Formats: sequence, structure tokens, C-alpha cells
Amino acid sequence: MRRLGWLFAAALIVASCGGGDAPSDEPEALTVFAAASLTEVFQELAPNVTFNFAGSDELATQIREGASADVYAAAGPRYPEELAAQGFLEAPQVFATNRLVVVVPADNPAGIESVDDLAADGVRVVIGAEGVPVGDYTRSVLETTGAEDVLDNVVSNEEDVKGVAGKVVSGDADAGFVYITDATAAGDDLRAIELPAQPLIEYPIGIVTASENYHAAEGFVELVLGEEGRQALRAAGFGLP
Amino acid sequence: MDPLHVSLAHPLRSFRLELELDVGRGTLALVGPSGAGKTSVLRAIAGLLRPERGRIAADGEVWLDTAAGIFVRPERRSVGLVFQEYALFPHMTVAENVAYAGRERADELLELLGIAGLGDARPGELSGGERQRVALARALVREPAVLLLDEPLAALDAHTRARVRAELEDLLGRLRLPTLLVTHDFQDAAALAERVGVVVEGRIVQTGSPAELVASPASPFVADFTGGNLLRGTARPTASGLTEVTLADGSRIFSTDLLEGHVGAVVYPWEVAVARQAPTDSAQNHVTGPIAGLVPVANRVRIRIGPLTAEITAASVERLGLRPGEPVVASFKATGTRLVPLA
Amino acid sequence: MRRAFELGLAVATGLALAFLLLPMLALFLRISPAELLDALTSEVALDALWVSLKTGLIAHAFVLLVGTPAAYFLATKRFRGRGVLVTLVELPLVLPPAVAGIALLALFGRRGLLGETLDAFGIQIPLTQAAVVLAVVFVAAPFYIRQAIASFEGVDPALIDASRTLGASPARTFRRVALPLASSGLGAGSALAWARGTGEFGATIMFAGSLQGVTQTMPLAIYAQLDLDPDVAIAIGALLVLVSLTVLLAVKLLPSWTRFTSASLIRSAPSGSS
Repeated sequence: MRRLGWLFAAALIVASCGGGDAPSDEPEALTVFAAASLTEVFQELAPNVTFNFAGSDELATQIREGASADVYAAAGPRYPEELAAQGFLEAPQVFATNRLVVVVPADNPAGIESVDDLAADGVRVVIGAEGVPVGDYTRSVLETTGAEDVLDNVVSNEEDVKGVAGKVVSGDADAGFVYITDATAAGDDLRAIELPAQPLIEYPIGIVTASENYHAAEGFVELVLGEEGRQALRAAGFGLP
Repeated sequence: MDPLHVSLAHPLRSFRLELELDVGRGTLALVGPSGAGKTSVLRAIAGLLRPERGRIAADGEVWLDTAAGIFVRPERRSVGLVFQEYALFPHMTVAENVAYAGRERADELLELLGIAGLGDARPGELSGGERQRVALARALVREPAVLLLDEPLAALDAHTRARVRAELEDLLGRLRLPTLLVTHDFQDAAALAERVGVVVEGRIVQTGSPAELVASPASPFVADFTGGNLLRGTARPTASGLTEVTLADGSRIFSTDLLEGHVGAVVYPWEVAVARQAPTDSAQNHVTGPIAGLVPVANRVRIRIGPLTAEITAASVERLGLRPGEPVVASFKATGTRLVPLA
Repeated sequence: MRRAFELGLAVATGLALAFLLLPMLALFLRISPAELLDALTSEVALDALWVSLKTGLIAHAFVLLVGTPAAYFLATKRFRGRGVLVTLVELPLVLPPAVAGIALLALFGRRGLLGETLDAFGIQIPLTQAAVVLAVVFVAAPFYIRQAIASFEGVDPALIDASRTLGASPARTFRRVALPLASSGLGAGSALAWARGTGEFGATIMFAGSLQGVTQTMPLAIYAQLDLDPDVAIAIGALLVLVSLTVLLAVKLLPSWTRFTSASLIRSAPSGSS
């Protein structure tokens, strides 16, 4: 009697291991990996899709390590191009552009009015980390406008743009560099200050080659590139190519 | 005023501890069954227990007076307390243990207790007797006003006990400190103390010298505790002035004590004579029976005959040629038969 | 049937060991030793090591200095509500690190309970090195205190009593009797707390942010470097394993005199000598 018990338990374990690999006829849920700045607009556009929002660099690593993503949308061309060159992504297309802005908390405790104010003593600035698109854009802008001493006031390098926004919203940072779309999404909690120069911020989207959901993936990309997607993106503050 | 005065009342687990005692320059032994509250008395004197009510004064200083709101902390009381298991600090050497309360007299006490050579040893390496001496030395370093000993011989094996007891008796005699000694063994109490207080369920039922306790035990417990035989029966006075006690098996014995009703007749083993035939002296009580057991104890032998235990010399046993199972007569005087009331 | 059971035990042990040891081993074998060394000496790695060590040591000192007396108090004093207090002290043990992070923000953040007052004095705690120390203390202290309470409880009360009757104040008793006898347990608790503190991530990243050389501890550096330079991430991981191993060994090899059984009763053989 006891032997039967062992056999039964063993069978259960084997069955639960094997299940995931079997091909099925039912369409599985679509999984989209997207840059954090696309959180609000994508969720509104396709509420039934499973999203993974994070820094574009982290998502690229995950896809490379074999994560089961169907579509990849990034906040800059660097990672999609790398993945495409390595055969992980099909030819990406640009579907939106964005602008970088400085944001301050609604009450602007440090009295920031321009990028130059950010270099003043004691100002606490939060930006994206190196390698994260918003971080690279920020550094590029600061270099272009000769405001690199702002980097001396950086108190934290965040791994995605929502982290930057969060710390400014809570008031623990005096200012941060985010996309205009994030400022819009945060509504009254943040005040945006325009930058004197803008890097070229293009958002590419592509189908992950290892996707087992090709049809649905195609559908999503078409949605984003189509009229409905463009309207949603425009409303959120994105630019359109 | 006596050097140590204790009066206290405190609730213990299943009864109330309520007693009063005074100790002069000498040793008072507190004896009684375990759980009677004896250790609690020591802890109260040391300040480790805060009684509900009471007054404790030593050497002219008041350590506790609940009525006046006085409570002196343990570290400020001049006590030396030797714990039952000695409580030596295992992470310190003997010398460090002894010097814990003060360096000054440490060497002197190591000498006095005869452990000067053990200074660098650790408690874990010592024998029971050695540990007891370290505990004593440690407690005496501060020249305490009062010495408290909690079952000082209990942690020793039988072989060491007798020797250590003699040494302790000698030491206490030399120190002449007011000493309170707790023990559950009457022989130890008799050897070490001038006075004995018997504590049962939180109260003192009798105080006196060891001899007084043996001679006139106030209760069956005291009688049993001091090592006496206890024969239960019913007493009634007779015309001759003696009290007749009818035992459970119907036999009768006589006592010069005057008591009536349910009694316990107390006879000490060493007052019982053993012979093959009953002696003709009418003043004797007799118990007849086969020898149930012979147990040699040092140079004496304890013989069990029926409900009685007699203790006679080994030489007498040899001379009489006594063997287990043989019928003998145990005799004891009516004057030596004490009566204690039974509940 | 019995041999099957023994075999089962062996297999389970083998699996457990393999599962625990192989990932750590992989850290050292995944890249060549030359690459490992190169990555270890990179500025990122060294900065992370420095931040982790500095904040870790400060936090640990605080945990020991405040936690030890607190544990002694909780271990030796009996009062109503003691059990509740002990449970509360242990609470951060089971708190998810993210909750710890947000809790610290709720208290010290600019709009937090204390943060507003602190801000008025010009003191800002979030996103500073001090915040790292606070986060580490918050998550590591319960580990130490819990173990310390148990260690102090293990000291024979008779020894404490003896010390008092020998004229030692409660403070002196703590210093000369309780502390030495509890020390091996305290050391173990300390190692545990150190390990937990060194590995702290969630609360740190939320409360202190991540800035190389200031608040980027080793775990934070691993996270940051994962997508930038995986070799460095692996190297820092390997470094963390070595640091943890060193602490563990140090505790195990504590001198034996700190490892006394605290009971005063050590029955030796029946007296033979003297």
C-alpha cells in the first residue's frame, strides 16, 4: 500500500515537470516586454495583454537569457539593434518618439526653474543609471548643454524611469530627469521644466524571434503602429514618427 | 540583639511561608522536606527574594523592613551565600572566582580553605569537595556578617560527604559567624549546627538543639526526620500511671509519656536492644519477630525486625550469631518510648 | 525497506548540497580567473566593496551597542507585555524588504512622520549613506536581538544571583558574568545579522537609492551591473560569497573559552584527589 503512495507522488512530480513543454492548440496569453515609460499608455491600449515593464536594458538581458517574451518595445534603438544583430529580435520599427524633461515635486522645495539651478549646492537630483535609456539620454543632454556639473548633485541612479519619477513625487529628490510622458502620467504631482536641447529619442518595437505566439504578436505590433495606437500615444504625450 | 533577625511572610506555590528566627554567633540549621520553603528563607536574607512582608536585620543594619519601605539590594548586603550547586563561574579560574568580591583577602582564604594550589584551575576540573571549598572561600572574601549555606553537602557523593562535613564543622567553629544552614539531612544538621529549626510547609514546627529534637520530637515528622522509628497506635492511660498504646497488629507497648488517642510511639534505633529471648525486666517493651534484614553501617548494624529498626554494634551481631530469618526479640524501655500526637 | 530509506536520505542530502553549493561555485567558474580578477579590481566593484564595508560596520556597531543591552533587558526582566514586546522586536525578521523600505520612507521621507521635522533642521535622510546604515540596522537588528535574547536566557540564573550576593551591581554582573557566558551565542547572532545586513537590497534601493561610491552597496552594484557588464556583476557576487564565508569561519573559530556551557553544574568524576 505504501509503495503505491510513493509511485503516485513520483508520477505527480513528473507530470508537473513535463506539462510546460507540450505544444497546445489553445492561443497562449501574449507577453510584451516594454520600457517603463510605456507603462500607462500600453496598459490602456491593450488591457488584456501581459506586460513586463522595466528598464530597456534589463528587458534586453532577460530576452537574451531566454525569457518568454513575444514583443519587445524599448525607449531607445541601442538594445533592439543589439538583439536584432544577435538574432533575438526581428527587424524593429520606430513607433513613437519622446522628450526628456526635468521634473520637480509639485511644491518645488528647491526652487528649480531651469537646468542651471540643478547645479546649485545641496540640490538633490535623481537620474537613470548608465545603460538605462533615460540615463544615457540624460547624460547626453547634460554633455551637449555643458551642464555636466549637475552630475555632481546626483544622489541616485535608478534602474528605470519610474524609479526616478517616484523619488521626485515623494519629495525625497529635488529634481529628476524623466520623459514628458512620465510627467504627464504623474499629473499634478510633478511639474515639468523644458530642456534647452533634446537628444533624439526614438522608441522601436519588434517581435521576439523565439515567440510562440507569432500571430498575436503581429497583431499587437500592428495595433501600436495603427491609428488606435497612434492616438493613444499622442494623448499620452509621445511624439509620432 | 542577636546578630541576625529574620521575620517574614511570603506566598509560595501551595502554601504561605511565615516564620521568624534569630541567629547568634553560631550555626542554626533549617531542616525539613524539600519544597518547605527553606531555600526561600536564604534567598530572602540575601535579597534575591523580596518577601511580601517582613523584617530582616543583621549586624545592626536593617536590610528589609516592608513596613518602613526599606529594601537593601543584594550587592549591598553583607552576606556570603553558598549555593546548592555552588554556582562557580565556569569562565574564570579558581583564583578569579574567589577574588570576585575583592582581591584583598583572596589569598588568605585560599590558604584557609586549603585550596591555595588550585588557583589556576577551572571549576570544571575540580572534584565536588574542591568546588565546595572554592564556593566557601569565595563567599567569605568579603567578611560577611552572615553566612548562608544551601544544602552544602547535597552535591557530594557519599564517600566525600563525611570528610567534607567534618572539615566544614571545623571551619564553622573557627569562623563563629552567624550561620544559617539549610539541609534535608538531620545527621548533617546535628553535626554542623548548635540549633535546629524544622520547617514544614512554610512554618517552623520545632526549634531546639539536635539532642532536644531527638529527645522530644514535637511531631511525627520531626521524629521520622531525626531517624526514629514510628509505631502507630491508640493510647489510653492505665491505673499504673503508664500509657498503654495498642498497635495496629494488636500488640501493646507502654510509655511514660501521657497522651491519649491516635499517637505515634517514637523509638530510636540505638535505644533498641536485640536478644534471642525476651528479658525478664517488666519495664521493657517487646517486639518479637524474624530478622527481616541486616545492613552494616560503618561498625554498627541496622536490623529490621517487623516495624522496628534497631541499631547495635557489629560485635554484638557476631556474638549473638544473628542471621536473617531468625526469630529475635527487640526490647526498648517505656521511658525511652516517646509519644507524639497523630493527626 | 530500511536500505531504501537510508538511500533516500543520502539522495536528499546530495540534492540539497548540490542545489546550495553549485550556484555559488558557478560564480567562480563562469568566467576565467583573469577576467574575474580584472572585474574585481574595477572601480565599480571596489566602490561597492567600500560602501558595503563602511555602512555594514557602522550599522553593525549600532546593532551590537544598542541591541545587546536591549536583549539583556528582555531576557532577564519579567514584566507584563514582555512577550508582545519581544514579538514586535522580531517583526522585521518576517517583513519583506520592500515593506521595510517603504516603512522607512514613511518615517524618514521628506513627507514622512519624522521627515518633516528633520527637513526643517536641514537634515535629509533618504538617498544618503546614512539611509543605507538605517536600512541595514532595521533588517539586521532583529536577527541579532533574537539570538542575543536566547543566549542571555541560557545563562544559569544561579550565576547571576551569585554575582549579586558577592557585591556586584547589576551592571558589573552583566559585564563580568552574563556577557562572557553568552558570548558565543552573541557571536553567532552577530554573524547572522552581518550576513543579512550585507545582503540587504530591497529596503536599501527604495530608501537610500543607488549611487556608486555613496549608497551603492555590493548587492545594488550587482543589480546595476547585470545589464551593463555581467562580468563585474559576477565578480561582485563572488566577492560577496567570500566575505560571507570569512565571517562564518571567523565565528566558528572563536576561541574556545567563549564557548562555555553556561550552567554552573558540571558534574565531574567522584572525588579522588585532594
